[in-house]
Amino acid sequence: MDVVRRMRPALGTFVEAGASAGLPALDTAFASLALAQERWSFQDPGSELSRINGSDGGWVPVHGDTVRLLRLARGLMLASGGYFDFTVGGAQVRRGSLPDHGGLPALERGTAHDVELRAGAVRLQRPVRLVLDGIAKGFAVDLACRAMRRAGAASGWINAGGDIRVFGDIELPLALRGEDGGIRPHGVLRNAAFASSQVAAMRDDSFPADIIGPAGLAPQPGVWSVLARSAWRADALTKVAAIAPGETRGPLLARLGGQLA
Amino acid sequence: MSAHRWNAFFLPVAVLAGPTAYATDYLTVAQAQEQLFPGAQFGEQTLKFSSEQRDRIKAAAGVRQRNDEMKVWRAEKNGKLQGWLMVDEVIGKHEFITYATAIGADGKVLGIEIMSYRETHGGQVREQSWRKQFVGKSVTDPFKLDQDIQNISGATLSCRNVMDGVKRLLVVQQMFLKA
Repeated sequence: MDVVRRMRPALGTFVEAGASAGLPALDTAFASLALAQERWSFQDPGSELSRINGSDGGWVPVHGDTVRLLRLARGLMLASGGYFDFTVGGAQVRRGSLPDHGGLPALERGTAHDVELRAGAVRLQRPVRLVLDGIAKGFAVDLACRAMRRAGAASGWINAGGDIRVFGDIELPLALRGEDGGIRPHGVLRNAAFASSQVAAMRDDSFPADIIGPAGLAPQPGVWSVLARSAWRADALTKVAAIAPGETRGPLLARLGGQLA
Repeated sequence: MSAHRWNAFFLPVAVLAGPTAYATDYLTVAQAQEQLFPGAQFGEQTLKFSSEQRDRIKAAAGVRQRNDEMKVWRAEKNGKLQGWLMVDEVIGKHEFITYATAIGADGKVLGIEIMSYRETHGGQVREQSWRKQFVGKSVTDPFKLDQDIQNISGATLSCRNVMDGVKRLLVVQQMFLKA
């Protein structure tokens, strides 16, 4: 069957989707991405994430996918020794890089143990602000691919502004824009996920640091690209790659299921 | 904050996928028509704007109406108005984007499709250019991630341009395309 591809605005970027099952499969993918945006946006005061962040220590009912995403985030935070940290929303709000939606005064950052999960509900042990920017876009890409499969697509892909997953019998050539703005071929992707993040640094105190590493570690400027089996993992591991010290980066990524690309 | 610390931002990186990575045509006008208004008949019309009208569009939409002409297709099914299809272009940092917006007879957006995405030669655009966006900003300025920081990336900037463009098309529909 012919592959149909479309590009629409979603998740605050342009998302390209392609599938072997035609337009209906693509429509389910875009619907799935719209749901992800509604659930996990920090900026949107009505999102499930904002309801969790604004809660007062009680159980907050959420969708099962939200519990799954938080379980993945919590697991990766523990496994990475805090190089991946989704509890730093309080610090980011204080620095002005994320909006303040009110609620209990928040800790600057928390630990993975502050987030308690059970089927269909989340509870914060302490007033932390969770931020899923480093993992939710990739997870949304995974869910969109699942939606296309369920709609009958034997193969397809999603490219959400650099968070990419390809499944089935498709080889997707990649081209990456480097720090100089130039475009370079970057291999071929098959049955895998790829994510790329650029860390731009400036010696300028007029702006808040948006990525907050473990004590004493700052993200290193550059373009960080990671290959993994799933898009959530590739997405999150670009943040680990940027923060991990040079000599530990490769082994750490390998242990966490990723590979520098 | 200490005087010499590196501040860092993660920026989305444009990754282009597919065999025609530098220019992709997704839909023709006819395909966009069929997808956004399946089975409808289309009447083409060209809106012409005076400079006074363009000022009114800008005042209402917050963004400039660059062209003084716009092609619009009125969609009807069995003589009943379904809405309008409007084709517009925006220029991002690294790309030219042609997109179609379907607006229903009730004035609501039915769908947005990117018709064509063309990469410009990015080589001459240096990182320095976006850093200038920060000049004059300070921590005490109220700003939001989605308003300022995400706009650094070329791809996300042009996504914002498209959303602004859709706002402008809604204004045009309100002013000039009454049911």
